[in-house]
Amino acid sequence: MQLQWFGYYLDGQSANRRSAKIYLEAGHLRIDLDDGALLNWPYGTIRQTQGAYAGEQVRLEYGAEPAQVLLIEDLSFLTSFHQVLPNRAGGFHNPAKRLQRFQLTIVAGCASVALLLGTYFWGIPTFAMLAAPWVPVSWEEKLGDSMIEQVAPAELRCSDPQRLAKIEELVKAMLATQGETEYRFKIHVVNQPIFNALAAPGGHIVIFRGLLDRTENAEELAGVLAHELQHILKRHVTRSLLEYASTSFLVAAVIGDVSGIVSFGVEAAQMLAQMRFSRQHESEADEAGLQMLLASQIDPAGMIAFFEAVRKEEGQGSSALSFIASHPQTEVRIARLKSLIAASPSGSQKLLPDYSWEDIKKICPAVEKPAKSLKIR
Amino acid sequence: MAADLDSSAQLTTAVDSTYAVDFHGRGGSLFGIQIVNLFLGLITLGIYSFWGRVKVRAYLASLTEFAGYRFAYHGTGKELFIGWLKALVLFGIPLFVLALLQVIVGIESGLFNIFQVLIYLVVGVFIPVAMVNARRYRLSRISWRGVRFSFRGGVREFMAIYVKGWLLTVLTLGFYYPFWQNRRQSFMIGDSYFGNQKFAFDGRGGDLFWSFVLHVALTIPTFFLCWLWYAARVQRYYAEHTSFQAARLRSTVTGGGMLGLMIGNAVLFVLTLGLGWSWITVRNLRYYASHLTMVGALDVAGVMQEVQSATATGEGLSGFLDLDFDLG
Repeated sequence: MQLQWFGYYLDGQSANRRSAKIYLEAGHLRIDLDDGALLNWPYGTIRQTQGAYAGEQVRLEYGAEPAQVLLIEDLSFLTSFHQVLPNRAGGFHNPAKRLQRFQLTIVAGCASVALLLGTYFWGIPTFAMLAAPWVPVSWEEKLGDSMIEQVAPAELRCSDPQRLAKIEELVKAMLATQGETEYRFKIHVVNQPIFNALAAPGGHIVIFRGLLDRTENAEELAGVLAHELQHILKRHVTRSLLEYASTSFLVAAVIGDVSGIVSFGVEAAQMLAQMRFSRQHESEADEAGLQMLLASQIDPAGMIAFFEAVRKEEGQGSSALSFIASHPQTEVRIARLKSLIAASPSGSQKLLPDYSWEDIKKICPAVEKPAKSLKIR
Repeated sequence: MAADLDSSAQLTTAVDSTYAVDFHGRGGSLFGIQIVNLFLGLITLGIYSFWGRVKVRAYLASLTEFAGYRFAYHGTGKELFIGWLKALVLFGIPLFVLALLQVIVGIESGLFNIFQVLIYLVVGVFIPVAMVNARRYRLSRISWRGVRFSFRGGVREFMAIYVKGWLLTVLTLGFYYPFWQNRRQSFMIGDSYFGNQKFAFDGRGGDLFWSFVLHVALTIPTFFLCWLWYAARVQRYYAEHTSFQAARLRSTVTGGGMLGLMIGNAVLFVLTLGLGWSWITVRNLRYYASHLTMVGALDVAGVMQEVQSATATGEGLSGFLDLDFDLG
């Protein structure tokens, strides 16, 4: 058994180095310097700061900063230390345990992956769902008001009160089944040929003329409204913000220092996560919206018919991207809704029985603005 | 070729000795360290990341060698954490409050722009403060042959250089930039010490001026790629004008070499979906180390320890705005 090693000694006072012979003795490390001086370092006071990884030398430090240093090239020093003085070598790296460390690292890696996936798939959405009710509705209203200023500026709104009242009647019919709510709902119809509708936090629903023109009866619009109402009731915008913030937090915890090309990767990951959460919200709004229609005895066929129109609008070819899209694939949505309808009794209350639906399309001033002015925004 | 610092009875080495910088790190070891850091970071909600960062730095330092001797890193997670907290209180919270006030008063209010100016002011003070403090902290926590480095430049002096350089760069439509850059380098190197002995920097901004102008002109035709060659040129120039005792640094990095390195890194990054980051770090350090030497005569045995105190506030500050930079 080897008991003597060669190394270098640095006294912590200058950059001068001295050759040293090192001996493992019972209570201390003995160091014989080249000039004949002799040092004894009690084991309990020695700190090992290097030598735990391949390619590192063994570096031992002793005393207050700036510490004295002993450098030993030969890793067998550590191995012998653990063999000769197992009771003293506790705080020192044992090269024999590198395999064990490797295995633990793999365990830590697997555990990290499991933690990340768990947080991503379950933790963040659950946290957002539980935390959203604590955000005051007045705050959402403020946010929603400023969003509406952008999306539905006053000069583009169609404010025919009689026809708006018809749409509000649909909303009221559905909300009657939802119990008490803190929200005051406001419907805005925007005079733009966009085939879309959206919900802003705090109770705003925006319907674009392009969508209204495509509806064939009140039930179809009710299907759209049910979906958007659920976005508001389920606080999806607030939840998105919470999800975004907690994803950022998670990413910061994982990466720490972000620089260069990593930040692109991080941003891409963040975007993918955001889209996934958005798809979850869409599915949730679909299903809760459908439940609301059924509870209000409204024929859900209107909602389906509307999604069929959406599918026609999309045409083919977008299916491959559904994995990263912000909305679920329309066909999947339709199939899901149909299976839910099949499982429950459908209502058949005719909405607005005394009203000719075509009339609603006159809600916006009939004068088509010249094409130029449409492009202003 | 590499000189042994201790062969000639620890006296001055030959005048034209070459001392090599080597990096012996391995991507696999670094990856292992970072995996464990990730795990501990996750279960401590990120708090562990300060301690994890120390592990990485200690590893990188101990595998970097100059003239046959390894560096050592002496920072602690606690120092980094406290530094970060201080930066949060001194700059993070004021910035947050100002941003919040902006939201409260709304964009139409006249106060909005006043808060915006205040935000610029806080950030403007923050950047030079963070740069100086980070350098002071980092150098003071690195040693070679048992002797610590240190940086003794003052924040106020740097603030003057920074503000003046920024203004002149704007006023001259950017043409002052090489002078400003040189002035900053001069400050950062010229006040750096190894033990009780000083580094020196004798670069002049004018030397890089025409090269800078040329690269401005080439920006569009080369789709910005020419700036890699400029960066390599600047690195070589700054190395050449950095000296310690009777020896000078010499860098042989080239634009082509840096481009090759970057392309290799990008491929590695994409193919491993980012998991190869540890190997990219190792590749970078190996490239820069293998292209850096010191040429001349060194007598390090006579360098005496002179410990300077420094806190990690600047360190924390620099992390706060992602101003990451390392030993130049």
